[in-house]
Amino acid sequence: MKKFAYEFVLLGLIGVVLASAAILDPLFLSQNVQLELSSEIWELGLLTLGMTLIIITAGIDLSVGSAMGLCSVSLGLCMHANLPAWLCGLVCLLTGLAAGAINGTLVAFIKVHPLLVTLATYGMYRGFAEGLQSATTNAPVDASDGIKSIVTGGFPVIPVLFTALAVWTAILLRRTAAGRGLYAIGHNEEAARFSGIPVARLKFLIYTYTGLLAALAAICYSARRSATAEAGMVLELDVISAVVVGGTSIYGGRGRLIGTLLGVLLIHETRQFVDWYWQRSELTLIVIGTLLILAVLGHRFLFSRNPQTQ
Amino acid sequence: MHKWFSLIQLFVVCGLVMGCGSSPESDTSDGASATSTNAGITIALLPKLKGISYFTSCAEGAKQAADELDNVELIYNGPTTASADKQAQMIDKWRLQGVDVIAVAANDPAVVSESLRKAQDAGITVITWDADAQAADRSFFVNQATAAAIGGGMVDVMANDLGGLDAAGDVAIISATATAANQNEWMQHMKTKLQSYPNLKLVATKFPGEDQNAAFQDSQDLIKKFPNLKGIFGISSVSFPGAAEAVKQAEKTGEILVTGLSTPKDMQPYVKGGEVKTVVLWNTLDLGYLTVYAAAAIRSGTLKPGATEFTAGRLGKKQISGDQILLGDVLLFTKDNIDQFDF
Repeated sequence: MKKFAYEFVLLGLIGVVLASAAILDPLFLSQNVQLELSSEIWELGLLTLGMTLIIITAGIDLSVGSAMGLCSVSLGLCMHANLPAWLCGLVCLLTGLAAGAINGTLVAFIKVHPLLVTLATYGMYRGFAEGLQSATTNAPVDASDGIKSIVTGGFPVIPVLFTALAVWTAILLRRTAAGRGLYAIGHNEEAARFSGIPVARLKFLIYTYTGLLAALAAICYSARRSATAEAGMVLELDVISAVVVGGTSIYGGRGRLIGTLLGVLLIHETRQFVDWYWQRSELTLIVIGTLLILAVLGHRFLFSRNPQTQ
Repeated sequence: MHKWFSLIQLFVVCGLVMGCGSSPESDTSDGASATSTNAGITIALLPKLKGISYFTSCAEGAKQAADELDNVELIYNGPTTASADKQAQMIDKWRLQGVDVIAVAANDPAVVSESLRKAQDAGITVITWDADAQAADRSFFVNQATAAAIGGGMVDVMANDLGGLDAAGDVAIISATATAANQNEWMQHMKTKLQSYPNLKLVATKFPGEDQNAAFQDSQDLIKKFPNLKGIFGISSVSFPGAAEAVKQAEKTGEILVTGLSTPKDMQPYVKGGEVKTVVLWNTLDLGYLTVYAAAAIRSGTLKPGATEFTAGRLGKKQISGDQILLGDVLLFTKDNIDQFDF
């Protein structure tokens, strides 16, 4: 029980959000509202899977939202050129893979600080996305037909895919040498290298994996709305917040996927309810930002006996 | 850790009790409990974006109308950037909340189309204002002025300020979002009208989005690229000040004239400074006011398709042509009268 104390705190907080919703506007909790609003949770969820791995190694990826925008535009351009849906999807995935690999190469092999690398690509990827869009279609592309029917058809592709990836990521983290390697890197990178852990390769792989997840998130988003350069705008705030609120230490070495999933649920419900009830688009950002700061302070208070967080 | 456990248990118990206590009844409420008041009409007013003075003044007028109509509850919310996707997301939420009317100034008719259709299917009255959506997705469009009056008006103003029928030189257009139906239609009429002035040559059209900084940069590029540039049209409320600022900073005041659509308050410094001689616009307060009156009348059934006029509070009788409710003529602001307008 004690091991999962933090996760219980999260459950409690989710309960508080839902309880407030129940008091202020019960309609928010009705099944069809929750079901429809849940369509927005998958992109957030997918991106946090990669972000958890990265933050466990004491890294960060600020470029996830921008990479998602770039992938969405690449998808839109292919749809615009009337390519078959599978090919559009493939191009989108390759774009994400490339975006992640660029981050990975710079962080792992050229050894630039991830904050700098991904801040740069945060600007670059969004710039490429907007430039490509305004140079070609100059407008969002309707990604209906092929992609949309796959994603929103009868079979819940996205939830199943997300669950599979979440389980796979959790197993990777808990049950494999690679997973233990990631924690080791987060605790002490130098020591990890000396104990024979392939630090550079692992780092490269997790940034690339995150790029791939950004492409999947872009497909979800584009099927739901449209293929556009604005996909994933300020989503990095939610993603990093969900992971940190979920108990992964920003200093690396600690974090669990189950916490991240609860963090995703907490951020999602909070964002949706604030949006729903107060009807002020700017308020949501303030609330999520506040949650992130409270989470960091909470970590400090809870784990203050551990020198890692000092 | 013990204090933490007790705190956690408190949270969980609170959550469970409150959650179970009140959620099962939620399906029985048929309106938005956050928004609906007895038998009133809830109107959700969606601008292209929040936080620019054009739409803020429209919202001001809308609030006045909502106060006058005592059975109307007004929700005003929009994206913080001119994003059609965010608009679609908000429309979807309003449908789930069960508002009565959704009035949209669409950033992209194609992107909001599905959400508007779903809202109509759910029994919500959908109208558009300021920027139209696809005709099938709404019942009425509250139009600020005819596109011919706005587009043609801007060209006439520019030509007049540059020397009448003999006006000569290069001109350029700084539009807004490439998908916005209103700007695109105005540009059609501008191009037609420009044919009356054979010596004015349209050399470029830019789409910076609803973004003053981007409009500023686009204007700077144009000033460098076309040495014979005599006039810039800024045809959105943020493109116009962006273009005027670019002319000012390039020290081309008096050489390059800027005109376009924006609020008198935003343009006042440039009219005083000489970059702008005439500002074209309509009364934005009245546009918001008329939209709310029309929304309430359509919802309550007093305004039906086929009507040719309609009385909107202090504005009196307004003409309807087809499915468009017309606000009226454009207003021209010059340095002689711009101080008299407070929006």
